[in-house]
Amino acid sequence: MAIVAQETKLGTFGRPVLAWGIGLLFFFPIFWLVLTSFKTDADAVKPEFLFTFAPTLENYLNMTENYDYWRFAINSVITSVFATAFALFVGIPSAYAMAFNPSRRTKDVLMWMLSTKMLPAAAVLYPMTFLTKNFLGIYDTHFLLILVLCLINLPIVIWMLFTYFKEIPKEIIEAGQMDGVNTWGEIKEILIPLAWGGIASTALLCFIFCWNEAYWTVRLTTTEAATLSKLIEGNRAPEGLFFGRLSAVSTAAVGPIVILGWFCQKQLVQGLTFGAVK
Amino acid sequence: MSNRTVSRVLQAPAVILLLIWMIVPLSMTLFFSFIRYVLSSLNRPEWTTPSISNWRGFGNYEFVLNSKDFVFAIQNSLLIVGSILFLTVTFGVLIAVLINKAFPGRGIVRVLLISPFFVMPAVNAVLWINMILDPVLGLQGLAVDGLNGLIAGMKDLPVIGWFFSQWPTLEPISFRATQTSAYAVIVMVTWQWTPFAVLIFMTSLQSEDQQQKEAAILDGAGAWSQFRFLTLPHLGRPIAIVVMIQAIFHLSLYAEIEIVSRGNGNKNLPYLIGEFANNNIGAASATGIFAVILANIIAIFLLRMVGKTLMD
Repeated sequence: MAIVAQETKLGTFGRPVLAWGIGLLFFFPIFWLVLTSFKTDADAVKPEFLFTFAPTLENYLNMTENYDYWRFAINSVITSVFATAFALFVGIPSAYAMAFNPSRRTKDVLMWMLSTKMLPAAAVLYPMTFLTKNFLGIYDTHFLLILVLCLINLPIVIWMLFTYFKEIPKEIIEAGQMDGVNTWGEIKEILIPLAWGGIASTALLCFIFCWNEAYWTVRLTTTEAATLSKLIEGNRAPEGLFFGRLSAVSTAAVGPIVILGWFCQKQLVQGLTFGAVK
Repeated sequence: MSNRTVSRVLQAPAVILLLIWMIVPLSMTLFFSFIRYVLSSLNRPEWTTPSISNWRGFGNYEFVLNSKDFVFAIQNSLLIVGSILFLTVTFGVLIAVLINKAFPGRGIVRVLLISPFFVMPAVNAVLWINMILDPVLGLQGLAVDGLNGLIAGMKDLPVIGWFFSQWPTLEPISFRATQTSAYAVIVMVTWQWTPFAVLIFMTSLQSEDQQQKEAAILDGAGAWSQFRFLTLPHLGRPIAIVVMIQAIFHLSLYAEIEIVSRGNGNKNLPYLIGEFANNNIGAASATGIFAVILANIIAIFLLRMVGKTLMD
């Protein structure tokens, strides 16, 4: 029989109350953003309309007119989706080889990959601008953002895939090898169906990181490939004039991702601590 | 093909891509940091093309080290990163211990708590600096107005009115000044990253040795000594990891500084590099190399910790 720590009366009542209080406190700014998005710009700054106001959808309906929202949103979708796909395309074979065919150097390769993630982006800002603007002519293109977003997330993707793949018994893969399936077939027919859940959560997390990225997306774009981060950054100082419409466009930019995020809390721990916390 | 060759071929694309990504821009930064290189110069047009003939040795490094902005940016980076680390770890441990036990609605509280982490940094900054912290139109301004109104109302009361009439009128704080905007950044990033710390500490607490805890309870250990001698040591490793991962992320904090502090003098290293890069590429590159060195010092410790658990 397990001895469960007896909670004092204060504990039984205090803990839920305090926990709920803290939870609501942390969520409040998001709630406030969503609430403000249903107020007109004029109402949004008036104390008498803090919680009681006539809700309006006007901010959402005018999002295209006010901010050209969809152009930026489509850019965010394109760059995040393709960067994630590309990272998986490069990462799956690599993680597969490291998980099922490790050599003495595998550990070093993984550590080195991780270390590329620690390079401060600002340190290579100018060379990146220089190379892509003057030399390659790909500044402010989707292609460039896809490439950069893929590269900065590739270490995390490989790392996560590696930890998932390692949990698959080696015998299953070897059985496939004996049947004379080639490597590509092994990956497609055996590995991907087996590790589907892990691959999906890796993709989800990579997508979220791409969507929220705010250094390269701001510094390597001007208009053509500008994403939602760039849009919001460009409208940073409305001086209270446009709280309503700015809230609406912000809600539209973060809403889907926050909801996606709810589904990958566990993967987040693994993805961000590189398997070091279990 | 042998297994080994196949394995190499499979890893090659990722390794080559990351190798290029790491080596090409960084070696350019290193080169630029040793030459005189500006984007526009009326007197010395030859400095506008990167060339070995403009060699400056450690001149850019000296220039950067002697500039007031650099010292300020380093101090400010450390202030911002240090405060965020202290606050997120403290709140993170307390909240994780609080919600580690079952209570009604725990799942919902978890979802509420984790949400800030997924808000994009640009929205985080715009939301806090305008709608919450603005001294006039934000919630802060409204709250201060409300309190002042309340105090003014109290002055008319008999007996205790005198007490309230001594109170000064509250002034809202502007978070757009040089120093206060750093505080604003600390508040918004702490809000965003405390959930991350909570999540990791909670994951770790689930593997805490329950039998040890029960033994401690039998021995009459109170809640505080259980926390102090069992939980906190158990969290030592996750705390170290949270600190290092956050240090690496926050040393390159950019969107928040850009949105909150643009033009008001508040800056950190990445922001300073951006400022230098508007013209003086040599100085920007030297600053970049300093940033790399700083990140590396932290990264070495982090990689060691992560490396230990890699192959188990």
